[in-house]
Formats: sequence, C-alpha cells, structure tokens
Amino acid sequence: MGETVPVKKQFKTDEEYDKELFKDIERRSNIWSCIQCGTCTASCESGRWTALKTRIIIRKVVLGDLSVLDDPDIWLCTTCYNCLERCPRDVRPTDVIIELRNMAAKRGNMHPAHKKTVGFLKETGHAVPINDQIRKQRKDLGLDELPPTLYKFKMEGDDKVLNNIKAKLFNVANIEKAAMLAKTESKSNEKKSEEK
Amino acid sequence: MVKEKTFAFFLGCIAPNRYPQIEKATKFVMEKIGYKLLDMEQASCCPAPGVFKSFDKYDWMVAAARNLVIAERLDADLVTICNGCFGTLQDVNKHLKEDPNAKEYVNARLKELGDYEFKGTITVRHAAEVLAFEIGPEGIAPFITRKLNARAAIHYGCHFLKPTRIRGLDSAEKPTMLENFATILGIESLDFENKYTCCGAGGGIKAAHAVPSMKIFAEKMMDIDKVKPDFILDICPFCHLQFETGQDYLNKNDACKYDYPVLHLSQVVAWCMGMDQEFVGLQYQQMGRDYIFTEREVA
Repeated sequence: MGETVPVKKQFKTDEEYDKELFKDIERRSNIWSCIQCGTCTASCESGRWTALKTRIIIRKVVLGDLSVLDDPDIWLCTTCYNCLERCPRDVRPTDVIIELRNMAAKRGNMHPAHKKTVGFLKETGHAVPINDQIRKQRKDLGLDELPPTLYKFKMEGDDKVLNNIKAKLFNVANIEKAAMLAKTESKSNEKKSEEK
Repeated sequence: MVKEKTFAFFLGCIAPNRYPQIEKATKFVMEKIGYKLLDMEQASCCPAPGVFKSFDKYDWMVAAARNLVIAERLDADLVTICNGCFGTLQDVNKHLKEDPNAKEYVNARLKELGDYEFKGTITVRHAAEVLAFEIGPEGIAPFITRKLNARAAIHYGCHFLKPTRIRGLDSAEKPTMLENFATILGIESLDFENKYTCCGAGGGIKAAHAVPSMKIFAEKMMDIDKVKPDFILDICPFCHLQFETGQDYLNKNDACKYDYPVLHLSQVVAWCMGMDQEFVGLQYQQMGRDYIFTEREVA
C-alpha cells in the first residue's frame, strides 16, 4: 500500500505519433482499407528470413506511429510486389514501404552502401560503373569500349547533363544536415506543393 | 506514330557494365528478326527502382523521364533487357501519361537538367516480352537454325510481371510465357519449388543487407539444385548478377558446391540463331565455366 509499482509496460507518448505525416500515403496506397489479415506478411519473401512484418508496418502507418521511420526493417523489403498482388483489400504495401523509405531517407536514415550507390550515379550516371576488365571484354565482343551513356560523354569532355543531375537530383550528400531536420520541417512536405 | 520495327535500345547499368555479352546477343537477335536498334545517347541509369525510388521518388521520376525523352526524340519505342529498367521506365511512362499534374511537375524539373520535355509518345518494352509474346514461338521458328539440347531452370524475376495492374503481361502466380517460348528453342523447362519467388537482390538489399539477401537466395538455389538443370535461364541482368555472385558466396560461406551457368534469354536465342559460342559469351561465366552448348538432334 502506497508503494510505487514499477512500470512494466512502456506506453508511447503523444509526441511519438503524428497522423498528419502519413496522410499522403493513406490517400495513395489505400491503407485505411487494411483489415490486418496478414496476407502481406505471409507472402513476404524477405519476411521469411528477417524481422520484416509488413502487416505491422501498415498498422503503424495507420496509427501514425513515427517509430516506423527509424525501423531498419523497412529497408529489408526486396520490392517483389507479392503483397501488393495478393492483398484482398487492394492496399499497396510495397508502395507504402517505398514512401516510408523516402521519409526515412529525408531524416537521414540511409545505409552507407546506399549513399555510395547515389555517389556512383552522380559521378558516372550509372549505379554500377564500368571497370577495366569489362572494357576489354566489350572490345573482344566487338562492342564499343564504352556504351553510349552519360559516362562516355563525360570521358569525351561533355559533362553538362551529368553535372546537372549531380546538382539537382538525389541530394543526400548533406545527409547529416538532413538528419537534424526537425519533425515539423519534414511534415511541411514541400514536394507535395511542387507536384501540384 | 513511332517508327515501325525500330527500338531505342536502353542498356541500363549492369548489362553494359558487367555483362556486355547480353547486350551483344540482344543486338544480334533483334537484327536477325528484322528490328533496328538505335543507340540512346546520353542515357543514364534507369534509375533503379529498389534503391533510387526508395531515396526520393520524385527525383527518381525526373531521372527516368529524361531517359524516356531520349527515346521519344528517336521516335521509337524503348526496349530494355533488364527487369529493373523495365519496371522503372514503364511505371514512370504510364504514370506521366495518365496524370497531367505529374507530367507538368516532371517537365518543370526536367528543364533543370537541360533541354528536355516529356511528351508521352512511346511505350516501354522488354526484349523478353517482345521475343516470347509479340513474336512468340511460332514467329521465331523460321529464324531458328539449331536447337539447344538442355534442361533449364527458368527464373522470371519480380518486376517483369508485377505489379500486374501496370504490366498486364501474364499471371504473376503461374506465368507460362517463357516456358512456352523455351520449348521452341529445344530447352526443357524444369519445375521446381519456389520457382516464381524473388532472387533476393532487389529493393536495395543486395547492396546494404547481404545476409538476408543471401538467405532468400540460398533457399531458391537449394530448390534449383534439387532438379539439377544444365543452366539457369533469366531475363534480368540484376537477377543474373545475384545468381552468379550468389553461388560464389554460398560456395565460400555455406560450404555449398554450386556450379550452374547463368544465361540471359537473349544469349540462348542468339545461339539458336547461329551466333558463335565466343560471342554468346559462355567463356565469361563466373559459374559453370565448363558448360558448352550442344545441339539437339532433330528426329
């Protein structure tokens, strides 16, 4: 009597929820229709081997649970589209995960290997750049040493388009800064107004 | 109207920069059946649907639209040899054709990259679908000079068929397009468990999370190993990369002894149309280096 009982269950506070943030996802991917049947989780190729539980991700988004953006599991989806194909309520879990990843990346949650891939695109126009062995192989096969893509033009001194891509697209270079963005800032969703 | 019997050939990244033999074989096949392939100058990565779409899907759309504009200027439908490129370019092409707001947004952003404007005049095709569906087994028969004596494990890959709402090609649960087509080439297609599952490479997990990626792949490979095919037949350079490097990884880390050659549909069709083994590129295989094509005796 009168003793403090230690709190066993950790309840989330209001600050950890924000339903407004996921409003666009709801509109585009139909998640209010979700009946939590679990067809998505059962169909998930990655979920067979990992902690990825698609059903729970959808539930968190419906509830506006912000922790889903820091959840490393959203990066384990192979985008095989099984869940999207099989959902009996026409929810699009794959699209939801992609949108969550967009938001997570904006908050700075991005794997170093992915940052490197972005770097390759900005430097060479390819996610997988060419190497010396393949250059030789191309010549042996009777192909041009370099394919007629942006990289070849860069090598020939015409890097105008590539520089524009570098400057204007996938600006995750200042990712540390992005990590410090306040929650409210990412909420403002500038892209939405641009899209309009 | 776009030019008939002409395609703007979109290479992507992995085909020209890792498996040029697929590029070579596709050019050979398309020319044999009377299609002209045009170079897409200044094309870039599609960009890959698993990684770049995950980072910023608006930027992804803009970069994809730029590639589409290059094909529009050539006045030809775009053909790709990769499921990832097919996924990105077809998704974006359809979306921009259907949604005027998105088109307006993308065109405004395209100006930042240079003199580009998306008009929506072309369609996006996959070489496998052109061969196996549009031309089909009957259409290809007159061009076949020799049949291949082989048993193959066919792998479709995910983005070729799914989402079916956008692709509209074949069933995603039990497709038959490639099996029907392979028969005319002399190939016996094998049934195995988990035939239509993912190879485990997509969605950026191959780059960032190698362990789960290899777990998914190991299950697939185990089922393939049970039916002992002569080779694995795919239609996507990224699956191709996963099958080649994945077998090597499992041999080194999981004490497996896999040694299955991996071939793209274009390579097999090219051989059946008389291309030399040297150009088909069997010598560049990382796996199954000893394998050579043998001709099926026609009874």
